[in-house]
Amino acid sequence: MRSIISILLLAFIAWGIVTVIGEIPFGTEKSRVGGHYVDQGREETGASNIVTSVVLNYRGFDTLGEVTVLFVAAIGLGAALATRRKKEKREIEPASLVLYTGCRFLFPLILLFGGYIFIHGHLTPGGGFQGGAIVASAFILVYLGCRGRRISETVSKTIESLGGLVFVVVGLVGLAVGGHYFLLNFLPKGELNTLFSAGIIPILYIAIGFKVGSELAGVIDHLMEESE
Amino acid sequence: MDDAGLFSGGPNPILLVVVPLGFAFALPLIGFVSKKILKYIPVGVFMFNLVVALRLLPLVLKQPILVEIGGFSPPFCINLVAGPVGILFSALIALAGLLVAVYTLVYIKEGPEEKYHILYLLLLTAATGVVLTGDIFNLFVFFEILCISSYTLVAYVGNRAGIESSVKYLIQGAVGSSLLLIGIGLLYGLFGTLNMADLARQIVSVGSSSAFIPMAFMITGLGIEAAIFPLNSWLPDAHSSAPSSVSAILSGIAIEVGLYAVVRILFTLFGLSSFFLFFVFLGVLTLLIGEMCAFSQNNIKRMLAYSSIGQIGLILFAFAIATAYAVTGGLFQMISHTLGKGLLFLAAGYMIVRSGSMEISSLKGMGKRMPLTALAFTIGAFSLVGLPPFIGFPSKFLIIRSALAEEALIFNILIGLILLGTVIEGAYFFRVVQVIYFQKENEHQKRHEAPVAALIPMFLFMIAIVAIGIYPKLVTGILDSAASELLDRVDYIRSVIQ
Amino acid sequence: MVFSQVIHFLQNHIYYIGAFGLIFIGLLIILVKHNLIKVIIGLSILETGVNLFLIAVGYISNGTAPIFSNPSVETQRMVDPVPQALVLTAIVIGVAVLALALSLAIRLYQHYGILDLRQIREQKW
Repeated sequence: MRSIISILLLAFIAWGIVTVIGEIPFGTEKSRVGGHYVDQGREETGASNIVTSVVLNYRGFDTLGEVTVLFVAAIGLGAALATRRKKEKREIEPASLVLYTGCRFLFPLILLFGGYIFIHGHLTPGGGFQGGAIVASAFILVYLGCRGRRISETVSKTIESLGGLVFVVVGLVGLAVGGHYFLLNFLPKGELNTLFSAGIIPILYIAIGFKVGSELAGVIDHLMEESE
Repeated sequence: MDDAGLFSGGPNPILLVVVPLGFAFALPLIGFVSKKILKYIPVGVFMFNLVVALRLLPLVLKQPILVEIGGFSPPFCINLVAGPVGILFSALIALAGLLVAVYTLVYIKEGPEEKYHILYLLLLTAATGVVLTGDIFNLFVFFEILCISSYTLVAYVGNRAGIESSVKYLIQGAVGSSLLLIGIGLLYGLFGTLNMADLARQIVSVGSSSAFIPMAFMITGLGIEAAIFPLNSWLPDAHSSAPSSVSAILSGIAIEVGLYAVVRILFTLFGLSSFFLFFVFLGVLTLLIGEMCAFSQNNIKRMLAYSSIGQIGLILFAFAIATAYAVTGGLFQMISHTLGKGLLFLAAGYMIVRSGSMEISSLKGMGKRMPLTALAFTIGAFSLVGLPPFIGFPSKFLIIRSALAEEALIFNILIGLILLGTVIEGAYFFRVVQVIYFQKENEHQKRHEAPVAALIPMFLFMIAIVAIGIYPKLVTGILDSAASELLDRVDYIRSVIQ
Repeated sequence: MVFSQVIHFLQNHIYYIGAFGLIFIGLLIILVKHNLIKVIIGLSILETGVNLFLIAVGYISNGTAPIFSNPSVETQRMVDPVPQALVLTAIVIGVAVLALALSLAIRLYQHYGILDLRQIREQKW
C-alpha cells in the first residue's frame, strides 16, 4: 500500500519535472553569469582555474559556509558519539609486517600528493576540498593497515580551528583594506599560470586543505573508534 | 576595521555573520586556554550582534544597505541585503540568542559543553545568514548549517528519545534540502543566475507555469523546516526531546527563519499572487491541527511544541493574505512568538528540572515552589493566547483586523476557525496554569527557585513582552517598513541591481 | 512520428533522465524502506542524483573544463563553471549529513539493538 502511494507521488513529481525540463535545453550556451566568469575570471581573480575563482572569489562566501558545514558535522559527530559507554579495549590482531611497512611507506607520499593538489588549486583541477580528502585517505590507510594508531585529537582540533580562522581573518583583512568588501582579493594577482598568483586564493585553499583533511580524518577516527 | 563602516555610516552588516563564525572557529582554541570562559563567549558575541543590529536599524529604515562580498557587483557576486526585514530578524535572533545564552550558563551542566556552545553559535549565525543573504544558493548553504546544527543539538542529551527524534528530523530535513537544491538547479537552468533580485527581475518575463515547478520544489523543501502542515511530523519529537534551552531557540528562531525563507521566496522571488489563497488555507489547517494536538498532550514540552505549529499556521495565514496590514501582523506575530515561546520553554525547562518529569500533572504546586518561574510561564502563556496587556494581543488583533478587511465571505469563516484555534489554545494553557497555581501538591515541598542566571533572561523576556504589549508603537514603525520591503518586489530589485 | 519525437526527446535529455532517475530511486527508497541504513543509502543516492542534475545543467555539447592550462584554450567551448562550484558545495554538505546520519545510526543501534524504523516508535503524535 505504502509503496503504491509512494510511486504515485513520485509519478506526479516526475510529470511536473517533465513539463519544466523541456525549457532547459541540454548542452547549449552558458548562462550570463557563467559566461562572465569565463571571460573575465582571469583578469579579475588571477586564477587560471575558473572553477576555483568562482569557488573562492566570486562565491567565496558560500565556501566559507561550506567549510562551516563540515565543521558542524565534525563537531556534531563528536558530540553525538561523546556520551557513549566506555567499553573495555578489545585485543586487536596486529597487522603483518608487509602491510604495516607498506602503509607507513605510502603515508607520506599520499600526504605529499594531497598537499600538491591543494597548493595548485588555482592552476589545475583540484583544490582544498579534494586535497583535503586525499590527505584524509592517507589517515584511513594508516587506520586500516597499521592497527591501533590514532591521530592526536588536540592536533586535529587545533588545525580545524586555525583553518577556519585563517579564512575568516583573510576575509576581514580584505574588509579592512578595501573598505567595504569582505573577502576582497587584496593581494597582487601575479602572473597568470604561476604558483604565486591569484592573490588570496592559494592561502585560502591551503587553509581549507588542512582543515578538511583534519576534519575528515577526525570523522573517520570517531567512527572507527565506535565500530571497534 | 573602523573605516569599514565609512561607506554606509555604520558598521558593516557582514560583521553580524562573520564575527560569530570566527568565534565559533576559535572556540576550541580558547578551550585549550580555559574551559571556564567558553560559556561566556556566546553571551559576548550576541551582545555584540545585538548592538550592531540596533545601530544598523535606523540606517536601514532610510535605505537598505547592499553588501557586495568580494568586491564584485551583483549578480556576479554573493550579496547581502540588509533591509529592514533582515536587520529586524538579526536583532531578534541576537536578542533571543543573548538571553538563552545567559540561561545556558547555569542550565547546561553535563555532556560535551564545548561542542554545545560551538553548535549553538553556529545555529544562530546560520539563522542570521539566512535572513540577510540575497543569493538563493547562499541561502541554501546557511540553511544547511542551521539544519545540521539543529539535528545535532536535538541529539545532544543522547538519550533514546533525543537520538530517535534527531534521526527522524535528519531524514526529513535532508530530503527537504535535496528538494530545495533541485529547485535551485531548475531555476539556474531556466534563468542562468542565482542572485535573488536578478531572478525576480527575470521571473516577471516568463509565464508562471515554468516558474511553478521550481517554486513547488523550493517551498516543499523549506516547508519541512518551517513545519507547515503536512510536513511537520518531526517537530513535536525534536522540540520536546532537545534540551529546553535548545527548544527555545528551535521553536523561537529556527522554524521562523524557515518560514521567513518561504515568505521571501514567495513574495520577492516569484510574486505569484494566484497561489496565496492556497497558503491561507494551509495556514488555517496548520493552526487547527497544531492547537488540537497540543490540547490532547500530557507532556508539557510536547504541548509547547504543538503550540508552535499552531503559531506557525497563524503567521503563515497572515503572510498569505499579502496586504501591507496583514504582513505587518505576521511579522509582529513572529516577534510575539519568539519572545513568548522562548519564555515558556525557559520557564518550563527549570520546572522540569525541579519536578523531574515532563508530565503536566507533576507541575502541581509549582506556584508555591517556584513562584517567579511560574509567573514567567503564566505571562508567556497569556501572551501567546493573546490577552492584553501582553505582546500577543496587538499582534493577533492586527492579524484578525487585516483578515476582516478582506471582503470575501471565506475570510469570515476562516477568522471564525482562527478564533476557535485561539480558544483551544487558551483552554490548554489555562489548564496548565491552573495545575501550577491551584492544584494541591501531595507532600509539602520547600520553595526552590531557579538560579538567578536563569531568572534574569526570563525577566528580560517578560519586560519585552509587557513593554511592547503596552506600547506597540515601539516596533510597529519598523514592522511597517519591513512589510513594505517584503511586498515591494520592484523596490527590492532596484536596490540590488542598479 | 511520435516515435521519432520520443527519440529526439531522449537524445536531448538523456543526462537529465539519468539524474532524475537516481533522484526518484533515492526518494523511493526513503519512502518505502524501513531499515535506517537503507534509508541513509537512499539519501546518498538522492544527493548524487541532485549533483548530477546540477552538473548537467551547466554542460555544453563537446565542452571542456573551464581551466586555462595554456593560453591558447578557447573560451567558447568551456562549460559553465558555476554549477561545478555549486556541486562542490553540495557534495561537501552531503558528506556532512551522511557522516552525521551514520553516527546517529550507531547511537540508535546502541539504544535499541535494531535499526528498523517501524519498531522504533516511542515518540508518537
